[in-house]
Amino acid sequence: MIAFWIILTGSLVAISCGLLGSFLILRKMSMIGDAISHAVLPGIVIAFLLSGNREPLSMLLGAGFFGLLSTFIIEYLHQKAKLQTDAAIGVTFTLLFAVGIILISVFTGKVDIDQDCVLYGEIAYVPIDLWILDDGTIMGPRPIYILSTVLVLIVLFITIGYKHLKIGTFDPAFATAIGIPTVLWHYLLMGAVSITTVASFESVGSILVVAFLIGPPATAYLLTDDLKKMLIITCILGVLISFFGYWLAYWLNASIAGCMTVLLGVFFTIVFIFAPNTGILAKKLKSNKNAISI
Amino acid sequence: MRNLYQSFGILLLCLFWGGCTQVPEKKDRLYIVTTTGILADAVKNIVKDSAYVQTIMGAGVDPHVYKASQGDLEKFLQADLIIYGGLHLEGKLTEVLNKLGRTRPVLGVGDELPKALVRTDSSFATAVDPHIWFDIKIWAEVVDLIAKKIISLDKKHANFYKANASSYIETLLLLDKEVKNMISAIPVHKRVMITAHDAFNYFGSAYNIEVMGLQGISTTAEFGLRDVSKLVTFILERQINAIFLETSVSDRAIKAVIAGVNEKGGKLLIGGNLFSDAMGASGTPEGTYIGMVKHNVNTIVKALK
Repeated sequence: MIAFWIILTGSLVAISCGLLGSFLILRKMSMIGDAISHAVLPGIVIAFLLSGNREPLSMLLGAGFFGLLSTFIIEYLHQKAKLQTDAAIGVTFTLLFAVGIILISVFTGKVDIDQDCVLYGEIAYVPIDLWILDDGTIMGPRPIYILSTVLVLIVLFITIGYKHLKIGTFDPAFATAIGIPTVLWHYLLMGAVSITTVASFESVGSILVVAFLIGPPATAYLLTDDLKKMLIITCILGVLISFFGYWLAYWLNASIAGCMTVLLGVFFTIVFIFAPNTGILAKKLKSNKNAISI
Repeated sequence: MRNLYQSFGILLLCLFWGGCTQVPEKKDRLYIVTTTGILADAVKNIVKDSAYVQTIMGAGVDPHVYKASQGDLEKFLQADLIIYGGLHLEGKLTEVLNKLGRTRPVLGVGDELPKALVRTDSSFATAVDPHIWFDIKIWAEVVDLIAKKIISLDKKHANFYKANASSYIETLLLLDKEVKNMISAIPVHKRVMITAHDAFNYFGSAYNIEVMGLQGISTTAEFGLRDVSKLVTFILERQINAIFLETSVSDRAIKAVIAGVNEKGGKLLIGGNLFSDAMGASGTPEGTYIGMVKHNVNTIVKALK
C-alpha cells in the first residue's frame, strides 16, 4: 500500500504540474514554480502573525494568497512594463522573499518559521499523513484528496480554455485581434499555477514541484510539435517517473523526491540524445548523410 | 515470450510486496523507533537489550529540516511505538506524527510534559522552545514519561523497565548536581554563553547562565546586521573571552562576530564545539546523552573560567 500511495501522489502532482508546465515552457515562464516557492515566505509569516499558530490550514491560506499575488505581479510587470518574463519573475520573487526575511527578523526572531518547517511536506510521509474523521474513521492519506481536487480543477480549466490558451500562447496578437481576452486567460493560467504549486508544496515539498513543472514538458517538447501530443506525453512521462522514481528510492533507501527528480534528468538526457528528429544523434546522422550525398 | 511476461509480472509483484530488509524481523520484542539519537539514548537506557531501538536521524543531523528517505517510512509503519521530540522540533514531521497518534502508539515527549516546564517565546504563547534536553531535570521527567509509555505496551517486562528507568533517572539527577557545581566555578559576571542559534535557553535557566543566540530558534533564519553589531558591543563591554560553535549548525554567523570583536581591539576565542540538536557519533563518549552533556559543560567551563 505504501508504494501505491506514494506513486499515486507523485503521479497526481506530475500530471497537474506537467499540464500547466507545458504552457509555461511555451510562454518562457518555466521558472515560475521556483519563484513561487520563495515568494510565499511573507505569506506564511503574516499568517503566523495573524493566527498565532503554525497549523497547516493557516499556512496554506497565507502561502496561497502570496502565491497568487506573486503570479499576478509577474503577469502585470510582463504586460504593462513590457518586462521580459524572466526579468519579471526575478524582480518579483526576490522582492517578496526579501520582505519575508525582513518580517521574520523584525517580528518573529525567536520562532522557528520558514517554508521548510511549516509549509513544505514530504512525499515519504504521505501514507502516514491520514485524514481521520472525528468519529475515528480513517479516510486514507489527506494529500491524495487535496491533490485529486487540484487535478480535477486543472483538467477542467484546460479543457474549457484549451483553444484560448493555445492561441494566446502561440500568437497573442492574433488572439487579441479575433477577440479572445488573452490577458484574462494569462491571469487565469497564472492563478491556476499558483494554486497548484502551493497545494503541491504542502503535500510533497518544493523540489519535486519545480521539477515536475519543467522536466516532463521539456522532454515532451523535444518529441513533438503538437501541443495536444505534448500534453499527453507529459502526463505519461510523469506517471512513469513517479513509478520508477519510487522504486529507485526503494532500492537505494534514498530520498523519494530526490530519486524522482534524478530520473527526470535521466529521461530528458535520453530523449535529448535519441529523439527521432530533434535528438543530437539524429541530427548528426542527418548531417553525415548530407555530407555523403554532396 | 509468455515466460518473459510472467517473470516481469513476478518481478513487479516482488517489488510491491517485498518487505524492506532494514526493519528487524521482530515478534519476540518491542520495536521502538525514535526521531533523534538523543531520544534513542534515553530509550536504550530503559529497555537495554529487551527491545529493538532504531533512530531516523543520524548523528550531526539538524532535526528542523531533516528530509526523509524511503526506508524511514517503513520504520514508522512497522514500529510498535514511535517516540519523537514534539514541540515542533521535527518541523512538519511533528504534525504528521501527532496525527498518527490517533491510530497507533506514539509519544511526543515535549507535548506530554507539564506546560509549566516548557519555555515559550515572550510575545507568542504558541511558539514553544523544543530544546528540552539541556535541562537535565526536565530530561529526567522525559525518561520517566518514556518508561511509563513503554511499560503500558510491554507489561511482561514492567519491573525490569521500572528498575532501569529509576536507576538512570538517579544517574541523571546526580549529573544535574555535578553540572550545577561545575558551572558555579565560573565567576558570576562571566557566565555568558554565546552560540549560533538559540538552543541553550533551557540550559541557561537551569544552570544560571545568561544565554545569547545570534539566529533565533530556527536554524535557517538569517541573522540581522544589527544583531551582530549589538553582540560585538556587548562582548566588548562584558569582556567575554569565548563564544561557541555548534555541531549541527553552520558557523558563519559566529565567525562574523569574532571578526567584529577582534577588529575593535577585543580578544575573542572560539570556546569549542557544543552539541546542540544532535549527539556525537555512536561509539564515542559524546555519542551518549550523558557524554554529550559532560562534553558541553566541560567545554563551557574551560572557556569561560
